[in-house]
This record gives sequence, C-alpha cells and structure tokens, in this order.
Amino acid sequence: MPNAMKFDLIRKELPGVFLTLGLVGVLTAVLFALVWGIGLSHGSAVYLIPVVIAATRWGIVSAVVAAICGVLASAFFFYPPLYSFRITDPQEVLNLMLFIFVAVVVSQLATRLKRELEMARQREIDLRDLYAFSRRLAVAFDVSDIHAAIEDHLTTVMQRKVVLFASAREATKSSGRRAGIAVPEHVLAEVAEVASGRRDAAGGVTVTSQGGEAWLIRAVSPKSPEFGVIAVNLGRGLKEGSDELRIRVDAVLADATATLERLGVAHAISEARMRSQTDQLREALIGSVSHELRTPLASILGAATVLSAAPALAGEKKLQALVHDVRDEAERLNNDIQNLLDATRISSDGVKPHIEWAEPADIINSAIERCQHRLGDRRVVLNLPGELPLIRVDPVLVQQALVQIFDNAAKYSPSGSQISVAARARDGRMTLSISDQGTGLTATEQPKIWDRFARGERHAATTSGSGLGLWIANAFIAANGGKMNADSDGPGLGTTVAIELPVMQAAVPQLESDADE
Amino acid sequence: MSEHSPIVLVVDDEIQIRRFLRTGFELNGFAVHEAGTGAEAIRSATLRPVDLVIVDLGLPDMDGSEVVEHIRSWSSVPIIVLSVRSTEAQKVHLLELGADDYVVKPFGMAELLARVRVALRRQMRAMSGEPIVKVGPLIIDLAARAVLLNDKRLTLTPKEYRLLQVLAQHAGNVVTHQHLLKEVWGSIHMHDTHYLRIFVRKLRQKIEPRPDSPRILVTELGVGYRLAQTDNEGENGAWDTAAAPAKTDS
Repeated sequence: MPNAMKFDLIRKELPGVFLTLGLVGVLTAVLFALVWGIGLSHGSAVYLIPVVIAATRWGIVSAVVAAICGVLASAFFFYPPLYSFRITDPQEVLNLMLFIFVAVVVSQLATRLKRELEMARQREIDLRDLYAFSRRLAVAFDVSDIHAAIEDHLTTVMQRKVVLFASAREATKSSGRRAGIAVPEHVLAEVAEVASGRRDAAGGVTVTSQGGEAWLIRAVSPKSPEFGVIAVNLGRGLKEGSDELRIRVDAVLADATATLERLGVAHAISEARMRSQTDQLREALIGSVSHELRTPLASILGAATVLSAAPALAGEKKLQALVHDVRDEAERLNNDIQNLLDATRISSDGVKPHIEWAEPADIINSAIERCQHRLGDRRVVLNLPGELPLIRVDPVLVQQALVQIFDNAAKYSPSGSQISVAARARDGRMTLSISDQGTGLTATEQPKIWDRFARGERHAATTSGSGLGLWIANAFIAANGGKMNADSDGPGLGTTVAIELPVMQAAVPQLESDADE
Repeated sequence: MSEHSPIVLVVDDEIQIRRFLRTGFELNGFAVHEAGTGAEAIRSATLRPVDLVIVDLGLPDMDGSEVVEHIRSWSSVPIIVLSVRSTEAQKVHLLELGADDYVVKPFGMAELLARVRVALRRQMRAMSGEPIVKVGPLIIDLAARAVLLNDKRLTLTPKEYRLLQVLAQHAGNVVTHQHLLKEVWGSIHMHDTHYLRIFVRKLRQKIEPRPDSPRILVTELGVGYRLAQTDNEGENGAWDTAAAPAKTDS
C-alpha cells in the first residue's frame, strides 16, 4: 500500500517538475545568450523567477527543484571555472547560499499563499453548495425530500459516496442497496446500532468491510436524531488520509446541521412524521370500527327481515312499519359504513381495479337493481343503443360508482320523478350519462361536488349524507381510466352526471364462427 | 315443499346471526342445526344428515372456505357461503371450491331463503334426474336438447345451446366465467371473457323478452352468470322482497 501511495504522489508532482525543468532550461538559454551578447556576468538572482513561478503554480516540490536547478545552472554556466560545477570564488559561494536561502523562503511563502487561495476557493464552493442545499431544503415537501437533500448535499461536498438512513428501521429493512450504492451488511448493522442510539457515535465509527473499504458512520447531528445517520464510503485503505477526511466530514456536517437548524427542519420532520402517523392511525381506526360496526348490523338487518315476514306481525300494520324503519335505517347505516370503508380504501392503499371485458348494460342494470330500494318510486328510463361495444373496466367498481350516482340522484330529486340513463360510444370512449329532474346545481356548487366531504349547502339541513359518495365514485372511475363530469342548467333544473370510459374496441378480437362444435 | 322438513346446518360464530337464521328458517318450515366453529360444523355434518349447509367465512378456528372444501370432499350437499362484501376473486374461489352460492352480509332473510330454495330444488332435480328446467317463460329440456320460449321452440347455435345447458344444469346458482368458458370453449379460453360477453348478448336476444334488462340470464358482476330461477314468485334478489307479505309454503 505505501508504495502505491508514494507512486501516486510522484505522479501528481511530475507535471509540475517537468514544467519547472523546462522553465529553468529556457531561462538558462536566454541568460546564456545575454551573457555572451551583452557581457552580463552574474545571473543567479534571475533564477528566483522560476522558483516563484513554480512555488505559486506547482507547489513546494517544484520550487525546490527550480532552486536546485538554478544553483546548478549558475555554477555550470556562469561562475568560473565555466562548464564545471566547481566554484572557486568564495564571494560566489556566498551569493549562491544567499540565493538558496531566498529561494526556499520565497517558495515557502508562495506555497502558503497558494494553499490559502485554494482553501478560499474551496470555502467558496462549500458556501455555494450550502446555499444550494438550503434553497433545496426550503422547497422540500416532505421528510423524504429533506433526507434526499441532505444525502445529495453530503455526497457533493465530500466527493464520497454518502448514504443517509432516516432511522434504525430503515437500516435493518434496507436490502443493502440504497440510492444505487451497495452498502455492506455489517455496515448496515452498525448504522442500525448508531441510529437506535445504542452506540454513541458523536465522533463517528469507522467500519472496514471485507473488500477493504472503510465506512465512516456517524449521526448527522448529535443533538437532533431526526436528521438520521450517515454512512460515508471512505474508500480503500486511506488510513492517514481518513483523519483529514474525518475533520472535513465534521466541518461539512456542522455546516449542514446549522442550516437544518436555522430552517427549523428538525421540527418540520418530526411534525410530518407525527402527521403521517396520525393519518395511518385514523385510517386503521376507521377500518376496524367500520368492520366492528358491520357485524352487529348484519344481525340487526337480518333479524328485522325475519320479523317483517313473521306471521305474528302479518296483521299489525303499525308494528310492521316500525320493523321496516329498523330495516331501512340499518340498511342506510350499512351504506354509510360501506362509504367510509371505500374512502379508507381509496386514501390508504389506492384502488386496484380488476380489468376485464364487461357488458355496459349489465353494469347499469346491476347498479339499478342494487339501488332499487333507495330509488323508491322514481322511474328509471334506459336509453341504450343496440350495439354498444364491450368495455375494458372493473365492472364492480363502475357499478359501485353508478350506485353512488343513482343514490345522489334519488336523494336530490322528488319522488315520482324520472331518472334517465343514456349511453353512447364515440371516438374510442363510452359516455354513460345519468340525468335526474332534481334540485340541480348552482354555479358555485358545480366545481365543489367532487370534493371529499362536500355537501350541498342548500340541502345540508334536509338531507342526510356524508358527502363521500361522489368523491368515491370519481375515484373508482378514475381507477378505470375514465373521468366524470356533472352538469346542470341551474337550481331546480336537474343534474346530469356523465361518466366517460375508454372502449378500446380495436382490441376486441374477431370471434370465430360458433356454428361448428 | 316436501314430506319432511329440510334440515339446514348453520355455521356462524356470531350467536345473534345464528339466532335470527334459526328463527327465520323455522318460521319457513325448516329444521335447523347450529355450529359455532369449523370443527363443530364438520363433525355435525358427518354425524347427522343435513339437506343444506350455510357457512360464514370468518370462523374462529378455520376459514369458512376450509369447511366448504372439507364437506365437499365427501358430500354433494348444497353449501351457501355468507361473506362480507369481499373481492369478487374470493367469491369465484369459493364457487370453485364447491360452494353452490354466496350471500353477502348484511342480507335479508328473504334473499337467503330464495337462494336456499333454489339450491335445494337443484339438488332434488339432480337426484331425481329431472331433465326439464323452467325459468319464467323459458323451458329447457336437457334430455331432448330443446329450448322453448312461451311454448315456441327456439333455434340456438350449438355453442349457444351449450352455454344455456351449463347454466341450466346449475339453474338458480351462479356459474363462474371460468367454468362457463371451460365448459363451452375449452380450457385454453379460460380467460377470454369477451367470448362469453358476446355469446350471452346473442343468447339474450333470443331468450329474453327485453334483452337490455335481462330477467332470465342475469349477470353477477365480476363473478359469472346465473339462470334466475326463483322460488315460485317472479322476484329475485334484493331484500325489498322481504317487505312482501310472508309466504308460508311449508
């Protein structure tokens, strides 16, 4: 390993040294010409020029090379005896020693200047990165955005592979590949240790993997665990370099943490986490409560239907009416619970349609049949053309969307009125429209009806409902690649809800004749 | 309905459900056995002969589908499954396991009774070898391979007849898409639902009085088709039939 490193070092210095040699050579030639042409005698001070140039451009090694070459060239070409490295005049020896001293001091100063310049430039780059980082944080939308920003920032600044783990769980869950970087198994284990707080890693822990790669693991900020834990790939066998790198990591993290704290990111992260946990909890609660509510509801509804058909109640009109109330209300409650369940399903894990070839008339008929009771004495008029194409949808989802629309139509239109259903296929889309003769929509209501928990203000007092129906319908239709639209000529003039679904008629294969068996 | 009261085995862990089912069945002339767990159900079904089994899917000791599978392994007794509104895939799976029908909770007693009677009638027809299936104005003579609508003989293509035949063999019960496709077109077309849709459309043109609101060959969305054989009165399905005055035909 040390050999390879030395080799690396030499290779880095080599161009500078060569250029220095060239510079000294050119200068010597010029001086030589001047000495012969004009009769100039002592040229050694001029050799400070390549020393300064080399020191500022290529560093101390080149500067020393320039100084030595300058001394040798002076001794060889310009001091008697000429063309020999021997110097006879003691004054000249003193001059040369003076030259060497000045050359070393100048090269030292120049090199330091160069390093400071470089550091200033690096600082500027760091500041620019930091600024970009804080700008990105400012537009970060959620916790994962913030973490990605931290990860990217550290990777850019350190020029090393950096993986950020938001929590111990993420490290244990992770399959060892994060952000396209393979993280060794036991590095992950160590990250989990640090992230769970079992190991104090304020100064960082270094782990070496089987491949000889060293990983530095430390918390982004010892004060705020929300920022997570980073693993930095330090590369292979950088023993002496790793201390310098660790100092750099510390500096970068300190800057980053200061930025994060200034922006109140810790608070934002924990708040976002809490919010998503609350959401999850609410979904879970709605799910289990709905399930728990439906079980007794099944008994209530079942018992009510047994009672309503019981011979003992056959002549009891009033009691019959009561039993019917029990049944109807239980049925309504069941629908509300079903809506809650559907809403939970939509917002928690999305709707996954089971697409198949479906007969549009079947979907409409089955929706009407399911709403029969709720439609009461409203007449449903079907207007379906004879040759409707088959559609590729999840028929159950479309049916449930239709049920919601019929339900709504029944709720907001007078008994005895007409609900008409029309279908037409054109340009690869099929449109189902359901028109009622009900209360219609005002211009302000129209855009709002698709919102979750939207209720018409004009009717909120007189009709019941959760405001979920059309929102659910819309989500179900959208899951089938369709869209919904509602139109009304105004209050009291009825509403038309249109569902547009893709047809893909071209995909219906030609059927072989069924005449042969 | 018959000389002896048909015996129904009700398998559900909810005592309230069992209670209303018992009352509902007894009022309609059935005898009822109860079981609260899957193991109890299987034991009960082996010990005493029953005419029909009603199984809830969520049992404490095993899944209802296991009970279906178990009973079906040695008995052809009609089985009706009670499920919460579940995915259609689960219903299809249950039917493939050998359940005759399913009813979604919550349900009305009338709806369940209708399904029970249909299942019992089918069982009786299967045992007696009765070749004639009547659905409203439609008569299917499985022995003579003849289909009559309002006493007029219909001409069906061989595949149309085959489709109707399979449905008639299970008259009143749901037949899954996959089963129909396999029986009519062979197992390589098991997933070509559009074949089925197009032939059902043609068949409905011939057998339905109003093809766009079918009453005979009805669709069970996402599951299959059923030849709508109801118990005597011309209605089917929803629990609004429960509002009708009780019919005691025991």
